[in-house]
Amino acid sequence: MRRFPLLLLAAMLLAVSPAMAAPKVLRLALDADPVSMDPHVQLSGGMLQYSHLVFDPLVRWTQDMQFEPRLAEKWERIDDLTMRFHLRHGVKFHSGNELTAEDVVWTLNRLLRSTDFKGLFDGFSAKAVDKYTVDISTREPYGLLLNMATYIFPMDSKFYTGTDEKGKPKDAIVKTDWSFANEHESGTGPFTVALREPGQKWILKRFADYWDKNSGNIDEIILTPIPEDATRVAALLAGDVDFISPVPPQDYDRIDNAKDAKLITMDGTRVITLQANMKRRPEFQDVRVRTALNLAINNEGIVKRIMKGRAKAAGQNSPEGYAGHNPALTPRYDLEKAKALMKEAGYEKGFTVSMIAPNNRYVNDEKIAEAVVGMLAKIGIKVELKTMPKAQYWDQFDAQVADIQMIGWHSDTEDSANFFEYLNMCPNKETGKGQYNSANYCNPKVDELTMAANKETDLEKRAKMLQEVETILYNDAAFIPLHWQMLSWACSPKLKNADKIVNVMNFPYFGDLIME
Amino acid sequence: MGWWQRLRRSLLVHSFLQDPLAVASAVVLLVLLIASLGAPWIAPYNPYDPSTVDILDSEIPPIWMPDGDARFLLGTDTQGRDMLSTMLYGMRVSLMIGIGAVVLQAALGILVGMASGYFGKKLDAFLMRLTDVQLSFSTYMVAIFFGAIFQSAFGMGTYERLAIPLLIVIIGVAEWPQYARTVRASVLAEKKKEYVEAARVAGLSTSRIMWRHILPNTMTPVLVISTVQVANAIMSEAALSFIGLGMPVTRPSLGSLIKAGFDYIFSGSWWITLFPGIALVILILAINLLGDWLRDYLNPKIYKG
Amino acid sequence: MFAFAIRRIVQAMLVMLVISILGFSIKQSVGDPIRELTGISVSETEREALRQQLGLNDPFLVQWARFVKNAVHGDLGNSFYFKRPAMEVILSKAPATLELVFVASIIVIVFSVPIGIYAAVKPTSWLSRICMGASIVGVSIPVFLTAILLIYVFSVQLGWLPAYGRGELVEIFPGWQSGLVTTDGLLHLILPSIALSSIMLPLFIRLIRAEMKEVLEAEYIKFARAKGLRERRILLVHAFKNTLLPVITVGGVQLGTMIAFTILTETVFNWQGMGSMFIESINRADTSLTVAYMVFVGFVFVVVNTVVDLIYGVVNPMVRIAGRK
Repeated sequence: MRRFPLLLLAAMLLAVSPAMAAPKVLRLALDADPVSMDPHVQLSGGMLQYSHLVFDPLVRWTQDMQFEPRLAEKWERIDDLTMRFHLRHGVKFHSGNELTAEDVVWTLNRLLRSTDFKGLFDGFSAKAVDKYTVDISTREPYGLLLNMATYIFPMDSKFYTGTDEKGKPKDAIVKTDWSFANEHESGTGPFTVALREPGQKWILKRFADYWDKNSGNIDEIILTPIPEDATRVAALLAGDVDFISPVPPQDYDRIDNAKDAKLITMDGTRVITLQANMKRRPEFQDVRVRTALNLAINNEGIVKRIMKGRAKAAGQNSPEGYAGHNPALTPRYDLEKAKALMKEAGYEKGFTVSMIAPNNRYVNDEKIAEAVVGMLAKIGIKVELKTMPKAQYWDQFDAQVADIQMIGWHSDTEDSANFFEYLNMCPNKETGKGQYNSANYCNPKVDELTMAANKETDLEKRAKMLQEVETILYNDAAFIPLHWQMLSWACSPKLKNADKIVNVMNFPYFGDLIME
Repeated sequence: MGWWQRLRRSLLVHSFLQDPLAVASAVVLLVLLIASLGAPWIAPYNPYDPSTVDILDSEIPPIWMPDGDARFLLGTDTQGRDMLSTMLYGMRVSLMIGIGAVVLQAALGILVGMASGYFGKKLDAFLMRLTDVQLSFSTYMVAIFFGAIFQSAFGMGTYERLAIPLLIVIIGVAEWPQYARTVRASVLAEKKKEYVEAARVAGLSTSRIMWRHILPNTMTPVLVISTVQVANAIMSEAALSFIGLGMPVTRPSLGSLIKAGFDYIFSGSWWITLFPGIALVILILAINLLGDWLRDYLNPKIYKG
Repeated sequence: MFAFAIRRIVQAMLVMLVISILGFSIKQSVGDPIRELTGISVSETEREALRQQLGLNDPFLVQWARFVKNAVHGDLGNSFYFKRPAMEVILSKAPATLELVFVASIIVIVFSVPIGIYAAVKPTSWLSRICMGASIVGVSIPVFLTAILLIYVFSVQLGWLPAYGRGELVEIFPGWQSGLVTTDGLLHLILPSIALSSIMLPLFIRLIRAEMKEVLEAEYIKFARAKGLRERRILLVHAFKNTLLPVITVGGVQLGTMIAFTILTETVFNWQGMGSMFIESINRADTSLTVAYMVFVGFVFVVVNTVVDLIYGVVNPMVRIAGRK
């Protein structure tokens, strides 16, 4: 209770002191907070959002999927394997050290040690040419080198070198214990971490020496994780927070109609699919049955009712804008034809299958799965559904415990080939391809085309190959595409350019945000 | 004199008929019981048959609201299922779990309580520490424990069919200590009485004394706490379903219906949460009121706590 | 007495051992922490290496023995998510839960005592009928439903009270972030504490009334009346005092129930206490924290029970022979 008089005094002082510009504080509510302060500890949406707050990448994606220079001012290809990046001069880390090419080399080497990133950067190496020039090369020709540069957030090599108070190296990447990098940061990004209470509250303060003077005007960000959807929306509508993400579809209309809140949506690139396991069920080896599954599911109905129109019904993996997107492959709901196919295949009476889906991973995942049960019942397939939290789901998915399994996928490289590599290529333990292909669909043609496309540097030719893969998958009914999830954010109208700082990768660039 | 007249004159029935609240709650409970146990015949739709459900019918408000649909008296849920039918089936699930769990609790509790009270000493100490362990594990932890064991034992597809027995076991195992302590207390009280001593001197076997003489005398408190326990078991099931450890979405109980609607209550579709919520409260209230009357009437010494 | 105490403490330790085995066996099957610790595109080989490194591949008994050995020294392992000792995490969340329970208990005490006494003394008055009616309705509404309704009415519709979190906190002493000393913190406490007390309050009203009625029929009260003592004095000093012991006992036994209710309340209100931490640890497959929480709660429970038993043993020597009532 001692605090009251002090507070009162402070309030009085504030009242008499001449009006000074109030600091612009952004109160941000997300479903979860970043798991660490070390950008290399985990590859996840949350950590990448964090990286864009506290660090800066060499290049980054713009809203229309072009590359924008950040710490690299310009770049050029010097041969099939190598790309040269010219760094911005005079960029300061939060520690005060200056950014040099050595930091980039150091960061790439650290990425190669990270459990989560080493797969993405397999075959990469970096060499400092001079203080501000760095060459990044790959073992084999790779068309997506620049895409990967969006994942390189240079870290302050001097700051992270040496040993901490516990005698451990400061650059250790530690997933489950205290480490220097988990608790300290020195990036070049627009914000520094002033306070971090995991799972509870973060305070980020504007970095005074930030190199990009033309960016936004937020002085401080208070980040609160609010896991419950309904509570998060209520907090925005009550004016307790200024910006929330994600927004549950059932609240889109309400936020749209509220005058103190603004809804921002974008077509997303995460596709939600179902896989019918051919190894478990001989019925699914029949292409007619697989096609019937596709025909029986009313994608548009799911989008309209469950997603409230804020998703796009899908007929393939690749969303519009991706190289492999083939406009001819549209959703094909046709119940009568589905029944006819089932009859033709000799399953007029139907059969019973099991199905699993997560219940807290994708937007409305549980409700979508439930709707699928109803739709498949109409062609005689009785589905026994079990939904579970994502913490338990992936083990079950890997073990392929059910005949039909749900999986959503977002391509880390923003490219079609990534879908095929993980979801549709023949499962192969050695190469790691088809890691999430629980349909056990295997078509050598798909494998061949995908691998060839990865080495093709002629982008037009490459796109043709990827589109052909989509067509093969469609005709084989290799999987059941449902829809592309829309991305959604909602904010108070005093955030002037909120719709400009968001993008389909879901890394809002809060550094550029302007508050009234 | 017919049996009905005899019954009417009995003290129990007389006292019951004198208490309008007890009569009213008994009538309500009876109606709910008939409606829910008879759901397959009464409900306008069968929510367990997914082929009759159309996603395009989802979130239709009750019939008296502007967008209401004559087919669905109380509207539909997020999947397009008829609320009324789903609630009747859901109440059936809740009741089955509630009653089943209490039968299991009583069986376990009486066994432990009798053994503990009659034999005393080491066994008593052991069993009472066992109840301590049990009490410190809340129902959630038991649910997680059994859910995990179940999954590895039976696989995925069967969950839907076996969820009811599973929840009966979970709530039965989680909440038996109440019975054990009650029975133990009354056994301790009975044991000192002369008739037990007399029976023992007469050379009757231990089991005979326990089952034929002591047990009937502990039945009054058991009966009284049973009503409260049924209400509690139904609430426990609802709470488990609410945090996602209970009935699956395709076989909803009242609790899972409330949970499913929670996300929608702020967005305007209040009926998905409110109707099952009201049904749940009325059901529990009726049981509690009857329990109250029974307690006042029988007025047993009950172990408190 | 000494032998009794020793015996009771040994039993308590055995109970703790059993709890740790049960808790640990749950850990094996609630989810895979490795999955939560790595991105989805990480290969199976990498995950296997991490699993090996964390010792998750060791046999059950080896892992359990390691856990018990460390637990004896107060180390319940590291939380995977928070990346710090689980004990530290639990203790940092404890103030939130304790403050919530504290305020809810105050509400329960302030209202249940006068209402309970009144309803026992004047059982036929309309006011006590209303109170008793309300209390039975109260015990019939599940906590999460009360919480939802409170948020809907006071926060969404009326916009009077905040619906989530703890508001502005002040560190009153090291490690204790308190919401009790700021206006904002107090406002945030209102709805959750009402929701939490909504189920305990009616229970205690009914309990106090029942106990009080029983006591009022006792000989010594009649005697006191006959002696011409003032009614108020009889009620408060003689009668109420004697209802306290059973009421407190029940309160102790209800601790487990209370913990369960805080889990629900904290989940709905996004209250950053031990209950929501427990649920979140399950959702995140932070299994080491889940187990640590269960062992911690078990420990608190066993300590409370043991202490109560020992006190009973001192007060009433009969207990030592017959066991607790």
